[in-house]
Amino acid sequence: MVSAMEIYQLTPKLNCKKCGLPTCMAFAVALLAREKQIEDCTPLLEPKYEAKLKKLREVMAPVAGATETGLIIHDERCYGCGNCVVACPVNVANDPKGSAIGLGPKSDKVILIVEDGVVKCLNPKECRRFGPNRILCNLCTATCPSKAIEFV
Amino acid sequence: MAVCTGCSLLCDDIEVSIDGRSITRTKNLCRKGFGRYRSLTSDRSVPRVDGRQTSIQEAISRAAEMLRNARRPMLFGWSCSTLEAQRKGIELARRARAIIDDTSSICQGEIVDMIIRRDIPSCTLDDVRNYGDTLIFWGCDPSSSHPRHMSRFSYYPRGEKLQRGHEEDRTAFLIDIRASPTAKILAGNFVQIPPGGDSDLIDAMLAVLDGKIPKVKDKKALISMMNTLKKADMGVIFPGLGLAYSLKGRMDRLKALVDRLNETTRYNVISMVGHYNMRGFNQLLFDETGFINRVSFADGVNHGPMYSVVEASKSCDLAMIVGSDPISSLPAGIAKALARVPMITLDPHRTLTTELSRVVIPTALSGIEAGGSALRMDGVRIEFDAIVKSEYPSDEEVLSRILEEI
Amino acid sequence: MRVTIVTFRDIFQSEAQEIDRFSEEYRKMSAVVFLDKSDAVKAGVKEGANVLVESDNGRVVVVARISENAHPGLAFMPNSPWSNRLVPAKTDDTRIPSYKSISAEISATEDKVPTVEDLLREMVS
Ligand code: SF4
Ligand code: SF4
Ligand code: SF4
Ligand code: SF4
Repeated sequence: MVSAMEIYQLTPKLNCKKCGLPTCMAFAVALLAREKQIEDCTPLLEPKYEAKLKKLREVMAPVAGATETGLIIHDERCYGCGNCVVACPVNVANDPKGSAIGLGPKSDKVILIVEDGVVKCLNPKECRRFGPNRILCNLCTATCPSKAIEFV
Repeated sequence: MAVCTGCSLLCDDIEVSIDGRSITRTKNLCRKGFGRYRSLTSDRSVPRVDGRQTSIQEAISRAAEMLRNARRPMLFGWSCSTLEAQRKGIELARRARAIIDDTSSICQGEIVDMIIRRDIPSCTLDDVRNYGDTLIFWGCDPSSSHPRHMSRFSYYPRGEKLQRGHEEDRTAFLIDIRASPTAKILAGNFVQIPPGGDSDLIDAMLAVLDGKIPKVKDKKALISMMNTLKKADMGVIFPGLGLAYSLKGRMDRLKALVDRLNETTRYNVISMVGHYNMRGFNQLLFDETGFINRVSFADGVNHGPMYSVVEASKSCDLAMIVGSDPISSLPAGIAKALARVPMITLDPHRTLTTELSRVVIPTALSGIEAGGSALRMDGVRIEFDAIVKSEYPSDEEVLSRILEEI
Repeated sequence: MRVTIVTFRDIFQSEAQEIDRFSEEYRKMSAVVFLDKSDAVKAGVKEGANVLVESDNGRVVVVARISENAHPGLAFMPNSPWSNRLVPAKTDDTRIPSYKSISAEISATEDKVPTVEDLLREMVS
């Protein structure tokens, strides 16, 4: 996964604050957290930064697919085993008759489900990594046999 | 809810959306099971007799005629058929005085045999979910072979007695020669052994249980594992192909360990049967003959290694293959012998075996196009209905029609 | 270079097998051998190159992959008609073939990886 430092290297490094942030490094961090978009850095859109812009778009592509909590799903690696579905504490709490006991989810308040053999993220905002009381939960990624889910 | 016949877990919580004859969306199927559902429209077999495309009826009549004329027919496969089809298959074997064998003969037959004879204790997967607090996956990689095993039953779900799930209530060990995908999630409890090292490990485990110093490199790790195993409320061992092949002919080693563990606390064994209804066939044949596989009806009921698919492929004069691809799965040298025998094959798909068969009879995909019932790996009976209409007859229908004509 | 071949099952290969055993996809996932880095160096084999695997029972050309999870002296092949070319036809009293550990020689080759059709042709020859 791309780091804030790598992103920083691809900014214009002008610290001009046009993006609304005090420094380019702050912008890089915000970009990684998906609080800002590449286009918010207007200088970067100038022709002289074309190569940097192109590269930045490339490294940010997988992150763009991430949910608001930073969850990234690599479909092509997923086994559809449902380990993450059953281990997620939010799924367990919201779906006691389904995922809590190993079955397919019976509630629509779950975060993770398996569809067509691959995991999908339904209610990212329910995730414990989200919101004011967020914690660094990683139960879903720890149960995955193939690193098919990651957090940015 | 539909049932998946992708492996012997027979997951029965599958949601399927259907538009006419095609499946548009599925929920809860793992990748492997989804592959099975997708196979509905891929590379289906066509009825053939002697290389010529024909009608299903003609293929059935030809099959009946060949069976009538055969002197030493072998009926093989069965682990991907419903109990109803298997029952007809055993009846057909009696009528044709045939040898009947199934895929357990080249995989986990020896372990399933001990379980069916109650030589070693077993339990259901629901028991595992509710009470199984200490697990040993041995010579298997459930993540790859039975993808939902750990999430539906064994490790991750909450159970009656195990409300806190895997984090606090369950301990799982993995014993294997390969750092498999399952080893990644059980990293801290992964015991890596050299090929064929299973028997030595059992010796070492028994030594610790007897209070002796085990002859292994990492004595501390083994002693701590054995202490955990002893503290189980209910332990479960899941042997897979790795253990089956490593201990073949010496399954008493596994029994010795299970017996010894049972002196302290309850330990059960559930074999990681691959195909969805191998357990069903083994149970049916056992109930009828007292043997789970390798039976000849040529002269009453006889059983033995000479009636195994490995031997019978060389000695039979006709082979009927039902829902299996032995040309692909047997060692090439044995497959070559089988390829010289006239074959009648029933299969939903084109396989290596259908390609070399005199008679090919296409059949419905069970669980999707045909209903019936099957025994899960733990012996629990699961029933299912067809979820789409099919132009193909089920195995059961084809076998009934052959029985009528023979 | 001599190794012990261990066969295993892979979910992506199983998926491809469910869908179509004659597909290129299935061949790609089946006709491979995973070698330990040091073994690959010893055998003079690069990632993605074709290798001849030869046991007492038979021989087959497959694609070499360098694996993090292999051990020196151990090589892994998905269970398939390709690996079955190496499994001894002779069995012991149990009549259960020794699918899981097969002693084999590995060497670089220019030969092509056979297709399922090639394997079938050889079967009936
Ligand atoms: S707008 Fe671009 S160049 Fe200016 S501070 Fe923000 S990131 Fe740096
Ligand atoms: S981080 Fe925790 S709460 Fe969020 S999806 Fe993963 S397991 Fe569930
Ligand atoms: S993301 Fe990982 S744990 Fe979740 S279903 Fe896919 S493979 Fe299983
Ligand atoms: S675990 Fe087995 S039965 Fe369950 S969905 Fe996957 S293939 Fe089908």
